[in-house]
Amino acid sequence: MNQQQDIIKNLTTFIENKSSTDGDFNDLALQIFAYQYQHNLPYQAFCRQKGKTPRLVKTWKDIPFVPINAFKEVPLSCTDPEDAEAVFMTSGTTKGIRGKHYHPTLEIYDLSMTANFKERFMKETENIRIGVLFPTEKEMPNSSLAHYLALAVQEFGTEDSHYLLNESGLDMDRLLGELTQAEETGEPYALLGASYSFVHLFEELEKVGKTFSLPKGSRILDTGGYKNQSKELELNEFYQLLSTFLGVDRRTCINMYGVTELSTQFYDDGNDVVPSVKSGPHWIKTRVINPLSGEEVEKGERGVLVHCDLANFNSVTTILTEDLGVQNDDGFLLLGRVKGAEARGCSIAVEEFIDFTRGSAK
Amino acid sequence: MKEVAGYIPDIGEEEFQWKVLQFGDLEVEIPLLTEEQMNLVIETVKKGSEEILKSLTISEIVTIIDRVTDRLLDRNSSYRQKAEKLLPIVTGYDEEMIRLGLTSYLKSFRKHELQRFLVEDLSNPLLLDDFQPRVKGGFSKAVGPDLITHIWAGNVPALPLWSFVSGLLVKAGNIGKVSSGEPLFASWFAHLLVEVEPRLANCFAVVWWKGGDVERETSLFRQSDIVIGYGGNHSLESLQSRIPVTTRFLPFGHKISFGLVLHSALDSQKAWRTAHQAALDVVRYDQQGCYSPHLFYVQTGGNVSPKEFARYMARELENFSKRYPRRKLSMEESASLTSWRQKEEMSLFSNQNKEVLGDSANHWTVVYEEEKGVFAPSPLNRVIRVIAFEKVEDIVPSMKPYRSFLQTVGMAASPKELFQCAEILGRIGVTRITALGRMTSPEPGWHHDGRFNITDLVQMVDIESSAEEASERFAPYED
Repeated sequence: MNQQQDIIKNLTTFIENKSSTDGDFNDLALQIFAYQYQHNLPYQAFCRQKGKTPRLVKTWKDIPFVPINAFKEVPLSCTDPEDAEAVFMTSGTTKGIRGKHYHPTLEIYDLSMTANFKERFMKETENIRIGVLFPTEKEMPNSSLAHYLALAVQEFGTEDSHYLLNESGLDMDRLLGELTQAEETGEPYALLGASYSFVHLFEELEKVGKTFSLPKGSRILDTGGYKNQSKELELNEFYQLLSTFLGVDRRTCINMYGVTELSTQFYDDGNDVVPSVKSGPHWIKTRVINPLSGEEVEKGERGVLVHCDLANFNSVTTILTEDLGVQNDDGFLLLGRVKGAEARGCSIAVEEFIDFTRGSAK
Repeated sequence: MKEVAGYIPDIGEEEFQWKVLQFGDLEVEIPLLTEEQMNLVIETVKKGSEEILKSLTISEIVTIIDRVTDRLLDRNSSYRQKAEKLLPIVTGYDEEMIRLGLTSYLKSFRKHELQRFLVEDLSNPLLLDDFQPRVKGGFSKAVGPDLITHIWAGNVPALPLWSFVSGLLVKAGNIGKVSSGEPLFASWFAHLLVEVEPRLANCFAVVWWKGGDVERETSLFRQSDIVIGYGGNHSLESLQSRIPVTTRFLPFGHKISFGLVLHSALDSQKAWRTAHQAALDVVRYDQQGCYSPHLFYVQTGGNVSPKEFARYMARELENFSKRYPRRKLSMEESASLTSWRQKEEMSLFSNQNKEVLGDSANHWTVVYEEEKGVFAPSPLNRVIRVIAFEKVEDIVPSMKPYRSFLQTVGMAASPKELFQCAEILGRIGVTRITALGRMTSPEPGWHHDGRFNITDLVQMVDIESSAEEASERFAPYED
């Protein structure tokens, strides 16, 4: 347990110290790797299969990455999953199995979230009136996004902040009330939620024929894409509609990229130009790799993203995503999900088989 | 580099819109017909079938196809040279593998093989030419349709030949839509047919359009007698939704094939060869064919254990990866392959008897396990699962739900076991049992997915004996 507390202490210092160097990052990453190798047994077995032990791993780039869907296979935790303060689960399922991310304490997750959120979304503002287009933590106790948004409201929202969903979806009366109020008082307003909820919002506003012009300093945060919950909009159209319906500058429409399997989020600096450049704070680093060799691709070439998130101190720091991207000087461009490879010949593809299995299970 | 694909009969027009398909440095241009042009093609091909093809005897048609095949087997012919040069670029498969694959495949379309093909289905091929007497009395003739539309898919080179040739043998007009993954071979075949027999110029077309074009497909299918479709169940379903009941639809969906190795094939002498043959089936076209193995079931109790066999296969795959390197994978394929392998490696923790073998560059992967209930497809591209089993009865239940997907089983077993297993496998939906090393080369006259290649395309016309007898009364020479 002391070891865990040590790591939490070091992490806290590291996160709070903005002048941490790459060398510090490396040291801490290796310390956490050694800890995870020792206590996270499925991960240890995985590393052994790869022939990688703490003795052989010299830099954070050598830390074996775990495919994101491994969270569906085995419990990846250095402590007993039963004792976790929080278990975040993925929304996507394969054969009804959801990925689970165990957090023995939310101390680091919360620190990572608030420090980064302040820097990238709040900026100079201390508090803002927030409207949330997502269920509450109580309604979705296993959703990392619900926790994230609750934290945003708790740490940065004024007392008048509200959740704007009800059983049937958007609480339009309340929403219209909030937006009108903001427009009338000139008090900046922040609307946060799932990307698909904004699409529902566009549809509702279109229906009632209303547009708003939110006061200066207002901002939007969307995340998570559409997940088959709404119409799929092109990025450009999405941000254009946001700016048309709510009267906010596209530069203050921030997209957050985060996954249940990480404890740190990425942000862009607005979506005037899409796709926007995403970047994270100094305690997460991203590599763009060729998945076959595991080597980094040349800068500017397409590859798959691997994140090394030190805030993931209890599970695995380094994760192979299913996201395609390109690295540039300021961060990376997200180019969407790696879709299941299509069948090229006449042999069945894994995806098609899974579809069939799902269909017959219904 | 440029190459023109497609074949358009003489419809009195030569102005086409062209679609360019890019394969690295190679540009393949293919005509994209307007609806009017397409209708002219349909009309022309139907007329060609009626006036030319149906006037030829089956033996004449066989001879023409045989001559075309000859040209394609001849490594000095210009088409063969083009195929050896361009198909590796288009499909990404290794040159040597394509060369060997083409030869072994084309051999099935020589005269004697075609004759076997016909006899297999019709017993008397003359049924295609004329009314033939029947044992029970009366006469019958097999009449081919005016128009067969083929929707070809995938990038396994030359695969469209099976249905194209079957269409010609029944004297039908043929319109084939090539896939954008391999648009060339069927086009060359069409041009060669016309070079060998210019009278066939208006009997077929090879075209391309973007799949899912509702208007185009609906119109063409309405005018076709038969539509033969290849592809996944999703695309087949969408094709089906556009085919009127009056048009017959013959769908060929994606399949899962596998290997079955019994312990009789696993003595220390024979096991290496068995593993070699099994690996060969994996390497050929990187498992993209419907007959390619996704997994191997290996029986316990032999001198060589299933786990050792998995290692043998790993060794063979490693050797092959030098001699016949795998096709260069797309980012999507690379990612899904890696994530699949990593996931398997992750499960080693909860499954102590499992092994994941593979080289660091991921050129191939062998997963060994003892969980008999696993029946799941491989992500292909030289990824194989070896599953140990004791009795065939133990592994059958896990395959049963997938009847509609089962096709080939590559077997290594004693003669007695072969027939015993065939009985069991046939019952759960397997349609082809072959030797290891032969999985990707079906014999001429095989029943593709258990069906009849020729018989499914023709309509039998019977003259019943009563008609014949009755007609006697009306003969001018009747006393």
